[in-house]
Amino acid sequence: MVAVFAALLGAMLLGRLRWRLPAHACLALCFGLSAWLFLFEVYSPSFGFAIPWLQF
Amino acid sequence: MAAVLTDAAAPPPAPTAPVVVHGGLLVQIGYLYLLLMMLAIAGILSTAMVLQYAFGEIPCPLCLLQRVAMFGAATAIAAQFRHGFTWRNVGISQVFTLLLLVISVRQTLLDISPRPGHEYIGTAVLGLHMPVWSIIIAFALIAGDALAMLILGGGTAMERAKLAAHPRLARAGEWASRYLILICAINLVSVVLQCGLGQCHTMGYRLLGTLPEGAS
Repeated sequence: MVAVFAALLGAMLLGRLRWRLPAHACLALCFGLSAWLFLFEVYSPSFGFAIPWLQF
Repeated sequence: MAAVLTDAAAPPPAPTAPVVVHGGLLVQIGYLYLLLMMLAIAGILSTAMVLQYAFGEIPCPLCLLQRVAMFGAATAIAAQFRHGFTWRNVGISQVFTLLLLVISVRQTLLDISPRPGHEYIGTAVLGLHMPVWSIIIAFALIAGDALAMLILGGGTAMERAKLAAHPRLARAGEWASRYLILICAINLVSVVLQCGLGQCHTMGYRLLGTLPEGAS
């Protein structure tokens, strides 16, 4: 999570300095790490990505 | 005669009249919408931080990821004020908004029917919990961008517009961008204290020693 926020802050600061390409690279890194962390957080060894306790 | 010939060969003088940008009002509305979205995101993030620091509601990992997605969308919006409008920045904002929507819908489903032993919803703000606010802001961003594309997507008015022609909007966008950077830096420090280099927990701050024994 620290790496995600560090990449995000880096993107913001680089954007302020008008270094667009490094800023976009940091933002892409932040997005990739966030998506990976989200999948890591919601994955369960028993249920995979399903929510079996939620039934309609 | 020679003077006349010289004048005729000289290039035409540069136009002094300002370039007229068509759709000036629409451009202003477009930037106003971007500013309002940035302020809305800043407001929601500030509220979440007040709940964290004043009321002791330590954010869960999904809550932190929603903050990241909001910051990402706001960063792309801030770039519209900093570098001028591009549809690429709209795309970046949309990608982070989709991430926000996916995470917040997943968390709202978990709040409706929590996993046994993982009931953690937090305080409601104006009757709605934070993940629901995240869904609302994600829908607003997507709907607003869709509307902007419908109205402004057919021309190049937004790309050609000079924000310097609207100094109040430019100044407001500048201050909103600075505020977002400030609260992002505060969030980074907070995440370092809460998570260290490991997993994040809602029971305490890892580096402050308030995490219960046994938490990984």
